[in-house]
Amino acid sequence: MSIEQHNVKRSRQTPEALAEKKQREKSKIDEFLALTDDVLSRKKKRDWSNDAFELTQRLLQINPEFYTVWNYRRNILLNGIFPESTPEQINNILSNELSMTTTALKANPKVYWIWNHRRWCLENGPDGPERDGVPSMEWRQANWDKELFVAERMLDADARNFLAWNYRRYVLANMPTRRSETSELAYTSRKIGANFSNFSAWHQRSKTLVGLWESGQLDPIQSRDDEFELVSNALYTDPDDQSAWIYHRWLIGSGENKGQLEREIQLIFELLQEQPDSKCKRLWCMESLVHYKRLLLQNHSPGSQTLKQECVELLSRLADLDPVRYVRYQDLKRDLDQ
Amino acid sequence: MSTSLVVPLHVAYIRALGDSKNELSYHLSAHLRMNAVYWGLTALLVMGHKDALDRDEMIDFVMSCWDEEAGAFGAHPDHDAHLLSTLSAIQILLMQNALNRVDVDRVVKFILSLQQPSGIFAGDAFGETDTRFLYCAVNALSLLGKLDELDVEKTVAYIRRCKNFDGGFGAVAGAESHAAQVFVCVAALAILDRLDEVDQPTLCWWLSERQLPNGGLNGRPEKLEDVCYSFWVLSALSILGKLTWIDSSKLEAFILSAQDTESGGIADRPGDMPDVFHTLFGLAGLSLLGYPALVDLDPVYCMPASIIENLGLRKGWKALQRRTS
Ligand SMILES: [Zn+2]
Repeated sequence: MSIEQHNVKRSRQTPEALAEKKQREKSKIDEFLALTDDVLSRKKKRDWSNDAFELTQRLLQINPEFYTVWNYRRNILLNGIFPESTPEQINNILSNELSMTTTALKANPKVYWIWNHRRWCLENGPDGPERDGVPSMEWRQANWDKELFVAERMLDADARNFLAWNYRRYVLANMPTRRSETSELAYTSRKIGANFSNFSAWHQRSKTLVGLWESGQLDPIQSRDDEFELVSNALYTDPDDQSAWIYHRWLIGSGENKGQLEREIQLIFELLQEQPDSKCKRLWCMESLVHYKRLLLQNHSPGSQTLKQECVELLSRLADLDPVRYVRYQDLKRDLDQ
Repeated sequence: MSTSLVVPLHVAYIRALGDSKNELSYHLSAHLRMNAVYWGLTALLVMGHKDALDRDEMIDFVMSCWDEEAGAFGAHPDHDAHLLSTLSAIQILLMQNALNRVDVDRVVKFILSLQQPSGIFAGDAFGETDTRFLYCAVNALSLLGKLDELDVEKTVAYIRRCKNFDGGFGAVAGAESHAAQVFVCVAALAILDRLDEVDQPTLCWWLSERQLPNGGLNGRPEKLEDVCYSFWVLSALSILGKLTWIDSSKLEAFILSAQDTESGGIADRPGDMPDVFHTLFGLAGLSLLGYPALVDLDPVYCMPASIIENLGLRKGWKALQRRTS
């Protein structure tokens, strides 16, 4: 039995089928345990040989989660193989490591250790050959460029894989020649365009925009308005989901801009008037209206009884429609009274 | 679908975990063995069945995982020391009242050696970094009574960098909020008495939005429900005093429906294969929700509350009142 597993359907097996399965597995277990013993005893003896290196590969192909063996493999490289190799050979070995783990990742996209091994390979490679007596960055450059491509393919397969997103951000932050943040913004546009529910892409977009605003590459005021347009589009066309609403809340922020707040409140009010079929959409309209009206109340119209009353009414309707979060709505109502 | 917790079956299920050595998956999960022992033992304690597993055998196993070179614990004999297994080993020994077996000075040295200049921790000498490891370090140092050796400001500064606009936290600075990372960051801040760093209204809003119409909780927007999030989300809500912001009876029914009522154990969701990881986090969730006859669980340390209280480490979390039936 596994210790931790997801999405594995329960099936009842007859005792006979179970016994048969165990019989079939027996030789695999013996082979795995023998290989494990061999590798771990070589590790104890500090065997840094090519043979040992090959054995770690066989073992990791069977079990890519065996972190101790990844560690041993890196130690063999550092202590046994690299000292005997030219920079060019080292670069080739590390390129092989990257290819091997690309295959492993396709089969096991959520295994942290594999992603981690790639990081190590990228960070421990030589920069490049000398050109006319001058050191170059050719190898490093090529490896890192390829890496962004790998992260992209992994996100094509699963657009919410947070390990792949984290890795993408790591690559972007460490590439020898940085990619422009504008092209990252374009990447998130493509991802969001493909699926409005991809919150991971909205998240990445928020981080990228902050970088662009802070560095002055984009005018924060104009760009924010463009974002409002994009997200309103999403709110109107599709979302039966939370992603665009959460992003909208980020754009509003602490609600210092009164005109913006009022404009967005009006827009959401109109969306709600259209009586959307989806309960989720209705809830998020009301939930957002309460939040933005409270910001209006706090920042721009302290003491407005009208706003307060509107919030209380919305919260009562929310409590009816969404009893799961009844206490939250009650607590917010109570806060308004204070 | 069952409406009550089948305690005897879950106890039997955990007892039987060590008997599956003729299954390949047992051997393929050796890298999680120490964690599994912690999950199993804690689950038994929550059910009030500590003695279902042999104490001496367990302590011997933990000690056999000591990595003399690194000065900490691996997940299995001859596996390398790692922060994940080191925290589990300390927790097991503490629950078995055998913490005196640990070479505290060496373990503390190992833990502190893994803090990076930015404040985050690596899991081992090869350096994968993650707020999970930061939590392991803070938790372990706290249990060992050695928090005073930690650079708290540096540690908190890194957690601050992981905070997102939705109030949640990610695995590293810049990463998307994820309920499991919210738990580790909030619990670490609780241990360090720095919950003032949390944007509580926003985070509690985000956490309460994790509950889906079927009662289960997901870990991020637009993802499926999963029993383990019962703990990641609930523990954070409990630490922040907002457990009532979700519907506890619906969640309770969801967790119970993920039980395997024939062979014991709890799965990630109804109809799936159970495992010891989801068995513990399902039970932990039920304990926080006040399910009858379970033992109080401390959501900060994910250990029985009485043990944490005895160490004088109890923080201001709130669980739901334990029901009598
Ligand atoms: Zn799970």
